[in-house]
Amino acid sequence: MSVASVHDGDRLGTGLRLLAHDVVEIGLGDETSYVDGRLSVGRREATAVLEHPALATVRLVCCSPGDRTRIVKVLDAVEPRCKGADGPPAGANGRLDPSAAGVFPGLLGPARLRGRGETHVLRGAAVVSAGFLPRAQEAVLQMAGAGSELSPLSATHSVVVEFEPAPGAPWEEVAAALRLGVLRLAAHLAQSALAVTPDSVDELEQVPAGSTGLPRVVAVTNIQTQGAFKDVLVYGRSMSGSLPTWIDPCELADGAVVSAQYGHPALKNPTFVHQNNPVVAALRASQDVELAGVVLCPEPVSEHEKRMVSEHAARLCAAVGADGAIVTKEGGGNADGDVALKLDALEDLGISAVGLFAEMAGRDGSAPGLVVAPTRANGLISTGNYDELVRMEATDRAVGGERLGIVDAAATDELEIPVAAIYGSLNPLGWGHLTCAAGP
Amino acid sequence: MRIVHYLNQFFAGVGGEEAAGNPPEVRDGAVGPGRALAAKLGSDYEIVATVFCGDDYAASNPSATEELLALVREASPDLLVAGPAFTSGRYGLACARIAAAAAREGIRAVAAMHPENPGLEEAEPAPVIESGKTAREMRPSIERLARAIETLSGGQELRQQDGRIGRAPRRNRLAEQAAAGRAVELLLARIGGDRERTEVPLPSFGSVTPSAPLADPASARIALLTEGALVPMGNPDRLESARATLWLRYGLDGLDQLEEGAFQSVHGGFSTVAANADPHRLLPLDVARELADEGRIGALHHEYLTTAGNGTQVATARSFGVEWAAELRQAGVQAAILTAT
Repeated sequence: MSVASVHDGDRLGTGLRLLAHDVVEIGLGDETSYVDGRLSVGRREATAVLEHPALATVRLVCCSPGDRTRIVKVLDAVEPRCKGADGPPAGANGRLDPSAAGVFPGLLGPARLRGRGETHVLRGAAVVSAGFLPRAQEAVLQMAGAGSELSPLSATHSVVVEFEPAPGAPWEEVAAALRLGVLRLAAHLAQSALAVTPDSVDELEQVPAGSTGLPRVVAVTNIQTQGAFKDVLVYGRSMSGSLPTWIDPCELADGAVVSAQYGHPALKNPTFVHQNNPVVAALRASQDVELAGVVLCPEPVSEHEKRMVSEHAARLCAAVGADGAIVTKEGGGNADGDVALKLDALEDLGISAVGLFAEMAGRDGSAPGLVVAPTRANGLISTGNYDELVRMEATDRAVGGERLGIVDAAATDELEIPVAAIYGSLNPLGWGHLTCAAGP
Repeated sequence: MRIVHYLNQFFAGVGGEEAAGNPPEVRDGAVGPGRALAAKLGSDYEIVATVFCGDDYAASNPSATEELLALVREASPDLLVAGPAFTSGRYGLACARIAAAAAREGIRAVAAMHPENPGLEEAEPAPVIESGKTAREMRPSIERLARAIETLSGGQELRQQDGRIGRAPRRNRLAEQAAAGRAVELLLARIGGDRERTEVPLPSFGSVTPSAPLADPASARIALLTEGALVPMGNPDRLESARATLWLRYGLDGLDQLEEGAFQSVHGGFSTVAANADPHRLLPLDVARELADEGRIGALHHEYLTTAGNGTQVATARSFGVEWAAELRQAGVQAAILTAT
């Protein structure tokens, strides 16, 4: 396998070329292929890349926007991507090896720095895992009708991976096998577009060293670090116990951050969202700021560690010359403290800071919304009230499970559930359009 | 529409402070301000009963709200109206609590009071309509309340333009732009100098900068204060266990120790077993006396001040702080130890 080294710098350029292939239709087929926007998921090949001793069986189901389908117990979503011509060559027998696709460093292949060269993307598609894992709260994803608008993932063509664990397999191994399988499947699907002319090309610049004179802004991205089933992997490793670290946003696009966090349906950051970090994308889209990188931070549980991480994160932002920072979290009320402390720490260093919070304001929206609020930095964005109830009509089909434990109902039933159970609805990284405000 | 009206003892015509300890009562029909309200509302509305209670009883008796609610229930109203309470703290708290309790059990309710009334924050989920500062503004206050009742009876929610005050419920809605894009815009505004713009107003608890350390403790008069609700056994002055509306002072002259059984904590927010077994856990009189005897502090203030810091209204706690500071300053106290639970 060839791995890009620093000496390849000239060949790879200074940024990442995202070669986007639009997916407008998805279905299962005999062989994996991507033709004229139709993604066919080859049953045999897809099942083979998911094979693992910890998984007894896997099943694949395809869902598209507008389907009268509900995906329940959603665990993670991954956008199909693989490295392009500069990446690793075909494997044995001339077949492409998804494990050598060059994306998700540290999980598929060695943990070498990524974020340069070419990356193929199947835009509008996702690989979704769904089913039971310990500590995973049941997440609901409605593909059509009321409630679907709250979950950004309802707009993608998804292949859902259902699974049964192997008898006696430890749950941590089941989760790891599923995670790896889903990443491989995502890479495998993207490899079907390697020879296809992309529909669009995004040139993602690496972080410049402050040449434009515009305000430099860092995306401070807190990620959950609460042990098995509630962890996030950076280059394949947990950040638990680490200090904050700076990475180039292009690394995210190549899968440097992978979710292993299955709690908080509405307040999790799926792998898909790290690959497409919405704060990074919004900063890139703005003509008025200069993106100054991403500072990844763990979310320790104790207050003194939260303070320590916050101070270090603020110092890192100052070191890269930040004028501003946007701070995001993952998880429930405990993680409000991580955002609040960072906002204050940043502003204490003279760096303007804005934080994204979901509110926990009770069903009627009348309770104080923040568990921990900043004391000085008052620029806050609301991604919606966690507790408000949403009604969803019955569906023809459910994927991921037959029943929903949170309401003790069939997974296809008409539902009234809190926003908190809707996958991605309050996304802390700013993926969705939900907000909350006083008045009618 | 059947309305039950809540009043305090004063507006019900029962008496002033001497009747503030009166328990809940009910009368048929409208009483006092209720008559003016009925006149404004017209024949589609009937005040079927008036429930009233002494201010002290309502504000300090933990079961008062439930007792009042039972009387309201008996009259099976379509709507409970409480007040107007103007700036009267105890009355405002009672209006807020009865309205909130009714709303929680599905009885529509509205309270009326001045925005500075400490009861305002306790009324949720019931709406509060603004009233004047004092009863001199009864007429416009009643008029505004009557309009609000008509709006409510039409099935509409009360909004700011209806005179609604307090924190309005927050509702989810879809914004045109995703949250990340809104964050970039907000950040640009902030970098540009707009330090106020936000989607989530911060709770305004304020903050206090600690004063500098004492230059010479050996010549300072020190006071002992607690929000741990430490009172003489039997709670003779009836300090509330939660949502305190009063604070108290008790003498320390002649006392070197706080004996078990002579003092008790009536705080409702923690287990008081350990504090009652040794009251010094709340008020370190023993150590303070030692320090005074050793000359390490100049003198100990001859009284301690106490209240219950448990769900206390921020506005109420703030006024306690002002009163305590003024009192201690007048007494020549330079520093205080305030124990928190």
